Amino acid sequence: MNTFTFIFLICLYALFFIYQALGGVEIESQILYSSILILAFGIPHGAIDHILYFKKRDTSPAKFYTIYLGLILLFVVLWMYQPMLSFIFFLVISAFHFGESQFADLSIRRSTYSLLLYIVWGLTLLLNLIYYNVSELNDLTAFFKDTEAFQSFYNHNFITYGFVSLNGIILVMLAYLLYSKHFSWNRLLSEVFLLALIHLTFYLFPFIIGFTLYFVVLHSIRVMNYEYKFFKKEKSNFRLIDFIKLLMPYTLLSVFFTVVILLLSHKGIIPISVPLLSLVIISVITLPHAIVMHIFYHAK
Amino acid sequence: MLFDIISIPKDDAVAFTFFTGYMAMFAASVFFFFERDSVDKKWRLSLLVSGLITGIAAVHYFYMRDYYMATGENPTALRYIDWTLTVPLMCVEFYLLTKAAGAKKSLLWKLIIASAWMLIAGYIGEAFSDGSTGHSVKWGVLSTIGYIYILYTAWFGEVAKLAEKSESAVVKKGVRTLAWFVLVGWAIYPIGYMCMEGGWLNTALGWEPSAVDLWYNIADAINKIGFGLVVYNIAVTESK
Repeated sequence: MNTFTFIFLICLYALFFIYQALGGVEIESQILYSSILILAFGIPHGAIDHILYFKKRDTSPAKFYTIYLGLILLFVVLWMYQPMLSFIFFLVISAFHFGESQFADLSIRRSTYSLLLYIVWGLTLLLNLIYYNVSELNDLTAFFKDTEAFQSFYNHNFITYGFVSLNGIILVMLAYLLYSKHFSWNRLLSEVFLLALIHLTFYLFPFIIGFTLYFVVLHSIRVMNYEYKFFKKEKSNFRLIDFIKLLMPYTLLSVFFTVVILLLSHKGIIPISVPLLSLVIISVITLPHAIVMHIFYHAK
Repeated sequence: MLFDIISIPKDDAVAFTFFTGYMAMFAASVFFFFERDSVDKKWRLSLLVSGLITGIAAVHYFYMRDYYMATGENPTALRYIDWTLTVPLMCVEFYLLTKAAGAKKSLLWKLIIASAWMLIAGYIGEAFSDGSTGHSVKWGVLSTIGYIYILYTAWFGEVAKLAEKSESAVVKKGVRTLAWFVLVGWAIYPIGYMCMEGGWLNTALGWEPSAVDLWYNIADAINKIGFGLVVYNIAVTESK
């Protein structure tokens, strides 16, 4: 068990008791608190992509920003014409990104096996989340006209098949890492324990709460810790407060624009529902972020 | 007849686990006591403590088994008397294992106080329950604070740091294994706790209060005997 799993476990215990005491949490409260947490931790973890990139690659800023923003624009266009394809593409990119952050410390990095491991681990995570919450997803997406189309995706039989087979495959893949001596027994047990905790979280708690808990504790805070350690290694007197100061301006800017765009949707000025627009925003910023983080993790 | 004939209903898993639990604890005690002589002197105290943990549990299981068979009720008081004695002894095992690496008595006391806190809060939550969720949650939260402290100490705190300082790879591995017991094995107890009337598993998922003892018996068997076997393994390996 590492520090993040420990924090996750404590959050899980806290949620157990909150649920027990309150008998549940209203959907409005779920959305409100989850949004605050995602904005507070999710945005900062990707707010310094440009700084991380320039630490690893000697590229001109103009070229970097053109590619970075160009990818966002291309993905927006894809969403306009092929929403279902964009959604599946987003899931795959997210799966890879989540898996990569989980195993970024492993030395098998550049191998094909590691790429496969990242994507299978991430897909297992996302399918578990969907599998345990299909009925809730039905309710959530049925609420708005422009999100109804996604029901055909997660109501499909392959979710069940995928759930069973991916969970089996990931266990075999983790066991292989022990066999190939990339894992100690302790690491293997920790990974299996974490998967069990993730199952428990997604089974016991609603979709939004389950995802937020994973995304904030096991992904965003973990990645920020990785970033902080990188700067600390580079400059020994780099303190946590310096890191927060570094993140702050870009985070505030990103939060500001995100809130403005969502408000425009809420007021009907942008003719897309808030949930779909949130999905589009998250997906289009995930694509370049995942690429930058891939370079950051692997470039020397 | 010398003894009354006791029949166990075929579908009563709780009674079944009380009987097997009693025998397993008893057998484990005999094993640990007899094996004391086969390890180095410095490990004999650890094995004695392991034998005491399962021995004390065996005696309590003997009484709990009878209480349950006679009344069909949860032997809550006996259960907590057992834990009040055995759980601090498990903390003693952590102390003994890390003593060579410089563990101080203060560590032992901190662990004992945390375990006592965990058990007292759990006892109030369970024995004085009015069947309300509020009561179960309040004392459950308080009890969990003690558990989290022990968990933190075993994984990241003083115990973990001392084990890391230890020159013995066996001790390092052993302490880590015991930490796994605290993480996974001890986490079974809250499942039992939440099955009681008003508990979350009872109210939300409809799990019966009769399942409380089933979970506790399973957890006890895993933790008490398993804990002792890990210590035994360290003692034997280090004695070679």
